[in-house]
Amino acid sequence: MQAMQILINALVLGSLYACIAIGFSLVWGVLNVINLIHGSFIVLGAYLAFGLYQSLHLSPWYAIFVAAPLFFALGYVIQRLILNRVITAPVLVTLTLTFGLDLILNNAMIYFFTADYRKLTLSPPLGSVSIAGAVVPVDRLIATATALLLTGLLYLLLRRSRIGRAIVAVRLDRDAAVLMGVHVPSIYAVAFGLGAALAGCAGVLMALIFPISPLTSSAYLGKAFVVCVLGGLGSVSGALAGGLLLALVESVGSTYLGPSHATTLSFLLLIIFLILRPQGLVGRKGFE
Amino acid sequence: MSASWVARCLRLSVPLGALALAAGAFAGPAAAEDVIKIGAPLPITGPLAPEAVKQQQGYDLWAEQANKAGGINVGGKKYKVEIVYTDYQSNTPRAVQATEQLITQNNVNFLFAAFGSGAAKAASTVSEKYKVPTLAATASSVQVYDQGYKYLFGTFTPNDTLTTPLTKIIKAQVPDVKKVAILARNDLFPLAIAQEMEKSAKDNGFEVVYFEKYAIGTLDHSAALSAIKALSPQWIFVTGYTNDLLQIRKQMVDQQMKAPVVSMIAGPAYQEFIDALGKSAENVTSAAWWHPAEQYDGKDIFGSTANFVKLFKEKYKSEPDYGQASAALCGALFQLAIEKAGSIDRDKVRDALASLDVTTFFGPVKFGANGQINSLDPPVFQIQGGKPVVLFPQAIKQGELKVGVE
Repeated sequence: MQAMQILINALVLGSLYACIAIGFSLVWGVLNVINLIHGSFIVLGAYLAFGLYQSLHLSPWYAIFVAAPLFFALGYVIQRLILNRVITAPVLVTLTLTFGLDLILNNAMIYFFTADYRKLTLSPPLGSVSIAGAVVPVDRLIATATALLLTGLLYLLLRRSRIGRAIVAVRLDRDAAVLMGVHVPSIYAVAFGLGAALAGCAGVLMALIFPISPLTSSAYLGKAFVVCVLGGLGSVSGALAGGLLLALVESVGSTYLGPSHATTLSFLLLIIFLILRPQGLVGRKGFE
Repeated sequence: MSASWVARCLRLSVPLGALALAAGAFAGPAAAEDVIKIGAPLPITGPLAPEAVKQQQGYDLWAEQANKAGGINVGGKKYKVEIVYTDYQSNTPRAVQATEQLITQNNVNFLFAAFGSGAAKAASTVSEKYKVPTLAATASSVQVYDQGYKYLFGTFTPNDTLTTPLTKIIKAQVPDVKKVAILARNDLFPLAIAQEMEKSAKDNGFEVVYFEKYAIGTLDHSAALSAIKALSPQWIFVTGYTNDLLQIRKQMVDQQMKAPVVSMIAGPAYQEFIDALGKSAENVTSAAWWHPAEQYDGKDIFGSTANFVKLFKEKYKSEPDYGQASAALCGALFQLAIEKAGSIDRDKVRDALASLDVTTFFGPVKFGANGQINSLDPPVFQIQGGKPVVLFPQAIKQGELKVGVE
């Protein structure tokens, strides 16, 4: 019975990790930008959900529809006005730039929202349900379903839509995409906007589950990073696979070796992957 | 074009930075006259930032009161107080550098220690080297004080003074409790408290069925909580800081974990813990070094506990907790010691601190030979009806223990 509980915990947590990582993975894969603002976008999304719930009593399920366009616009503008200027520079330049932007956004949040921890508590609370002898909180379950839905939508967008095909084309071969008439700067901006929108939506979902504070942004960023390396860059299924693997290792490790070793295990796994399978679980070799 | 634009910015920033440094160096010694400068290295940014805010509130309240009264009286001459803050970004090695910088570059007269036991201990090597009297507002672990240092004093009693009274109350009033599970943040103070708890539980005949640590920055605790739930302990004892405890309490509710007694240190003393958790905070027990319900009539600048609480509420519109109170106390103690010494000579003030035996708004203050306070009875309390209710010590007791946390 405890094994069932561990497995279900891991499945739920893994989907949430995937949701945290997917926007990060998209931006890294398509733009080759390690987007360090990602964690702060998630936190900003969480504050948006918290604010809407406190002031308008708008449930986080609807807050997603506010967050997605808002964050898309924010990401699009940041890419168009700032990041596109240095996009062709070595990766260290874009890394430094997003690091700086992250400092600004994170400290602005500390300034305006203070560093106090807040919690979005739904009233009445959603409670928990029993599945096959294991207890699962309903809010996590809904967040998981939403996370999977968002992931599916992104998958469809990349596969079926014109703009999605253009994003994939730029990712695979930038020069060939230009020759085919793709306007690369706008594709970059759309991809970054999508990444930001996914981060914002992830933030809305995380608001239900984790305490909210600007200081948690680095924890989200760290998870996103590990998930991307484990799963492989730029692909939807990679983020999902990486998230599930990470959660599974953490849950099993923390049950049998104690919670203090869960982090050790996940980073050990990261190192093993970097050495033996740098392209990740579902990534393709030599994709760069 | 874009690469050269960045390069130009980088080139420009070097002379600008040098200019800023030079300006800082000139501004430094200008204000040395008739001012007592106390350095305060704090984690103003990073994960411990909320704690730094509390420390600052305490220090600032004291400095404001001291300056309002004309300053500190040193042998008939009044000195204004200035607190020099530096940010060590919640990074302990940087706390050591920041402390050294305060002494050698900012020329502070005295120091408030860095936050918490770990950073205070690390930075105390520097203050000891320069023989700068240092008051630690938030360092409770004995390991901070057993280094044989002469210049370090602390206002928190050892960790076992929190866990022992709590264990005694549970043993006397909840006979059903047999099995205890302990989950601790793997960090100097939370871990030390958990180890004291384990010791005091065993001494009182409880069985410790689970004792595990979780890493700093752990996001999700479901696996550890599932393991605890499977053992069905009657007492669940968790240590950590506000964010950890909020998350753990929420996940306990999610996993439908119930127990006659749930204790958490050190979150529940903070109002934001109660606000964030709402009903789930009910009946959680805790202990802290100070509580606003205490009633002491002090000889320090704040006078009575009630007066301190009133001044604090006027300035910050919120109820003070033990962290803020201890910070303010450290300022008040420096003032008492400087006035007693009649000098700002570091060695004389150090001796005055060592020989203090005085009642303050925080309680009676007397330091042991190792520099740690040994004159306080920290209160045990429980969240009841959204408010902390004191259960111990007898003199300030406000209510009875309620059993059952859902």
